[in-house]
Amino acid sequence: MKNGLALFLGVFAILGLSWAGLLLSAHRQLGSLSQFKDPVEETLYPQPLSGLANQGRLVYQDLGCVSCHTQQVRHEGFGSDIERKWGQRASYARDYIRESSVLIGQSRIGPDLRNAGSTELHSYADADYFYSLLYAPQSVAPGTNMPSYAFLFETHALAGRQPSYGAIKLTGRYAPAAGYEIVPTARARALVAYLQSLKDTYDYPTERNLNAPAETAKEGGH
Amino acid sequence: MNSTESNARAEQAEIDASAKWPVLVFFGSALVWLLLGGALQLIASIQLHTPTFLSACAWTTHGRIVPAAQNALVYGWGMNAAFAFGLWLMARLSATTLRHGGWLFVAAKFWNVGVTLGILGILGGYSTSFELLEMPRYVTLILLVAYALVGVWAVTTFSIRNTENVYASQWYLFGAAFWFPWLYAIAQIMLLKAPVRGVLQPLVNAWYVHGLYGLWFIPMALAAAYYFLPKILGKPIANYYLAPLAFWWLVGTTAFAGGSRLIGSPVPVWISTLGGAANFLLVVPVVVIAINLLGTLAGQTAALGRSITLRFILISILGFILASGLNFALSIRGFAQVVQFTLVTELRDWLILYATFSTAMFGAAYFILPRLTGREWRSSALVKAHFGSAALGVILLTVGLAYGGYVQGQMLADAKVPFGEITQALTFWFAFRSVGLLVLLIGHVAFLINFAWIACPICSNETETAQFRTPPALNLPKAHAAEGHA
Amino acid sequence: MSSTPDGNYRFEQGGASDDSIQQVHAQLQKQKPDKASGYSFLPLAVLGLMCSSVFFGSIYLAHYSIRFDPLVTNENARREKPGAVVQTAVPPAVLGKKVFTTICATCHQLTGQGVPGVYPPLAGSEWAQGSEERIIRIVLHGLNGPISVSGKDYSNAMASLGGVLKDEQIANALTYVRQEWGNKAPEVKAETVARIRAEVGNHPAPWTSAELLKIGQ
Repeated sequence: MKNGLALFLGVFAILGLSWAGLLLSAHRQLGSLSQFKDPVEETLYPQPLSGLANQGRLVYQDLGCVSCHTQQVRHEGFGSDIERKWGQRASYARDYIRESSVLIGQSRIGPDLRNAGSTELHSYADADYFYSLLYAPQSVAPGTNMPSYAFLFETHALAGRQPSYGAIKLTGRYAPAAGYEIVPTARARALVAYLQSLKDTYDYPTERNLNAPAETAKEGGH
Repeated sequence: MNSTESNARAEQAEIDASAKWPVLVFFGSALVWLLLGGALQLIASIQLHTPTFLSACAWTTHGRIVPAAQNALVYGWGMNAAFAFGLWLMARLSATTLRHGGWLFVAAKFWNVGVTLGILGILGGYSTSFELLEMPRYVTLILLVAYALVGVWAVTTFSIRNTENVYASQWYLFGAAFWFPWLYAIAQIMLLKAPVRGVLQPLVNAWYVHGLYGLWFIPMALAAAYYFLPKILGKPIANYYLAPLAFWWLVGTTAFAGGSRLIGSPVPVWISTLGGAANFLLVVPVVVIAINLLGTLAGQTAALGRSITLRFILISILGFILASGLNFALSIRGFAQVVQFTLVTELRDWLILYATFSTAMFGAAYFILPRLTGREWRSSALVKAHFGSAALGVILLTVGLAYGGYVQGQMLADAKVPFGEITQALTFWFAFRSVGLLVLLIGHVAFLINFAWIACPICSNETETAQFRTPPALNLPKAHAAEGHA
Repeated sequence: MSSTPDGNYRFEQGGASDDSIQQVHAQLQKQKPDKASGYSFLPLAVLGLMCSSVFFGSIYLAHYSIRFDPLVTNENARREKPGAVVQTAVPPAVLGKKVFTTICATCHQLTGQGVPGVYPPLAGSEWAQGSEERIIRIVLHGLNGPISVSGKDYSNAMASLGGVLKDEQIANALTYVRQEWGNKAPEVKAETVARIRAEVGNHPAPWTSAELLKIGQ
C-alpha cells in the first residue's frame, strides 16, 4: 500500500464497522430492554436490589469476586449448569437490566453464583452459611480453595456478657477461642445481603417461548 | 555507491540517536512492570493452590491481586514495550528522526503514573471489575492523554515519512496506533461514564478485550516479525504479495470476533455466532501469515542458531499460530461448552500476551538496544538463560494450562462431580502453573540485569561498544530479477 | 550474512538496510508469483481457502443467528418467526404456586400439611378436593369457627382474601392446591370465582363450616 490515506480510511472503517455492527446494533436491540409486567400479579420483574444488597454488590466488586465466580446460567444441554442446581432456567438478558454493573464473569474457579441466594435450589444457603463461608470457607465447603475473608469480621471479647445477636456461629476448630465472638462488619453484612438476593425466580413467558428448543430436525437443516 | 551508503548509515544513526532516550525510558519502565506484574501473577497463582497465602490482608486478597497482575502486565509491561518498539520502528521505516522527543518523556511519565495509580486503586478496592478495565475511572484521562502524545508521535512520524513505499510492519503499527485509543475510550464511555444497560456491558467488555489482544498486541508482534525476518536474514518475505490480503482480512475479522467470548452467555445468540463465524474466517490470514513468515524462515536453521532475535521471533510466530488455533477451537460450540470458564480460555489470552507479543518484544529488544546505546550485551550467559527460560516457560504453561483446563472442563461438565473434587484435582495444575511462572520470572530477572548493564549510564561504562557495519541491500530473489520488470 | 561476531549473542549485525527492505518488498507486492514451473499453486490454494471459509462461515451464521432476535440466547431455539409458533401459556398451577407460597403457605405450610391443631392441612383434604363452591367462598370471605378436616377438628379464623387477591390469582392458587401433594381434583376457573364473588356480593362475616356444608355437594 503506497497510499497513507487509503491505509487510514481502511483502518478507520474497520473500527467504525465493528463498533456499529456489534455494539451499536446490539444497543439498538437491547439498550432499552425494560422490565416485564406479570399479567396476573401486575408486578414488574426483575425487581431491584434492596439498598443493603446494592452496597453488597459494591463489596463484591471491590473484593474482585468476579475473578473466580461467574453469574450466568447456561441453558439446558449446554454444560451441566442446570443439573448442578446453579439455576432453574438459563439466564436471560432481562435478568440483568437493573444491575448497574453486570458481572457475568469469565472464570469458574468457584461455582456460578447467579442463584446463590435461592433457598429453593440450595436449602442450606441461609445467612449463617454465607457468614461461615466468608469467614472460614473450609468449615462449610471442605476442599475449597476459596480464600478466607476474615478481614471482613471483627473479634470481640465477650467479657462475661451474652454473645451479640449478629455473632456468627462456628463450630470445631473454626470457632473462636473461649470468651470471644466473631461479629460481621457492615461490609460483611452487605455482602451477605447481596449474595442472598441473587436468585432469578421469574420465568419470563416471552423469553421462555422464544428460547424453547426446536423439537425436530428441520428439512435441509444441518 | 559509497556515498549513498554512508548517507543512509548516517541517517540511521541519527534516527537511533533521536529515539534513544524515549525508547530506553519506555523500555526500562516496561521491564520494571514486567517484573512487578510477574510477581503479582505468581502470587495469584500460588493463592490458588495455597489459599492461605497472603489472605489475611484485604490488599492482597486473591480477587484484587488477579486484576492487579493482569493490568500491570497489560498496561505496564505490554503498552510500554509496544510504545518503545513501535516508536523506534516507525521512525526507522519512515526514515525520519523522532522530533521533539522531550514530549515522549512526558508521555512516559504520565503513562506510568496512571498505571501506578490504577494498580494501587485496584489493590485498595476501587476496581471496576470489568476485565482489563479494572483500573478506577480517575486514571482513564491520564492514560488517554499520555497515549495521545505517543500516538500522535507515531502517526506524525509516519505522515512525514521520507520513503515512497509503506512496508507491512508500518500497516500493523499504524493500525494498532489508531485502534487502541478508540477501543479504550469507547469502552470507558460505554461501561463507566454512561453505562449501557444489562448484558450490553459484558458485550462492550468482550469487544474491548478481543480488540486489545487482536488489534494491538498481535499487530505489534506481527510488525516485529515482518521487520526482523528480512532484516536479519537478508532475504525478503516469502510470497509477500499475499501480505496485504492477510493484513486486511486479519484485522477485519478480528474486529467482529469479540462475541466469541460470549458463547453461552445471556446475550442474543447472533452475537456469539457472529464472533464464531469471524473466528472461522480467521483461518485465511493465519495461514497466509504462516506462509509468509515460516516460509521465510524455512531452511534457515543456521541463522536461527546464530541470532537470538530470530529465535524469539520464531516463538512469537508459533505462539500466534497456536493462539489463533485456540481461538478457532473455542468458537466451536461443542468445545466451548466444555472448556469455557476454565484454564483453557485463560491460556488463549496468555498465549497472545506472552507467547506472541512478549517474546516478539524480547527479540526486538535484543536487536534494538545495542544500536541505541552503541554497546554490546555484557553477559551472553544471561541472554541464553533468558531465552531458555522463556522457551521452557511457554512450553510448561501451554501444556499445563491446556491439559489442566481440559480436565477442569470435563469435571465441570459432569454434574455428578462435586465442586470440591474439581478443586482438589486442579491443585496440581495450579502448582504446575506457579512453577512455570517462576521459570519465566527468572528469565526476566536475567534480562533486567543485562538491560541495566547496557542501558544505565553508570553501569554501562564497562560494557564493550558494539561495532556495526553498514548492512547490504536486500536483493530481489533471483527469479524475479531474471524477469526484469518492476 | 548477519550474525553475532563471536556467536555469543552480544549484538546482531543487520542483514539488510531498511531502504532496500522497503523498496524490494514494494516491488514484490506488485509482482505476480513465481511462474518458473508453469501454474503457481499457492494463489489458487489461498483463493480456495478464502471461498470455503466464507462459505462455511456464512452457513454457520445463517444457521445459528435465529433471526438476530434480541431475546433469543439459545442457539438451538426454533428458527421460525414467532408468529408461526404457538405460544404456550404458563400453566395455572405454576402461577398458583407463586400465590400459594407468598400468601397461603404461612399458615398451611409449603407442604400443605398445615399445623396440627392450629391450621388444617390441604394435602389429602376432602374440603380442598371437594366442591369448588365452598373453597372459593372460604378464600373470598374467610372462615371462622370449628371445621373438621380429614377426621380432625380445627377451630380458628381465616382472614378474607377477596380484597387482596384477584379472581385469577384465587383460581390459580386453588388449582395448584387441588393438584399438588397427591390431591386430584379439577382445576378452578377464574370465571367461577368471579361469578361467586358477584353472586354473594358483600358478605358481612366470614363463613362457618355449617353454612358451607349446606352449599354444593
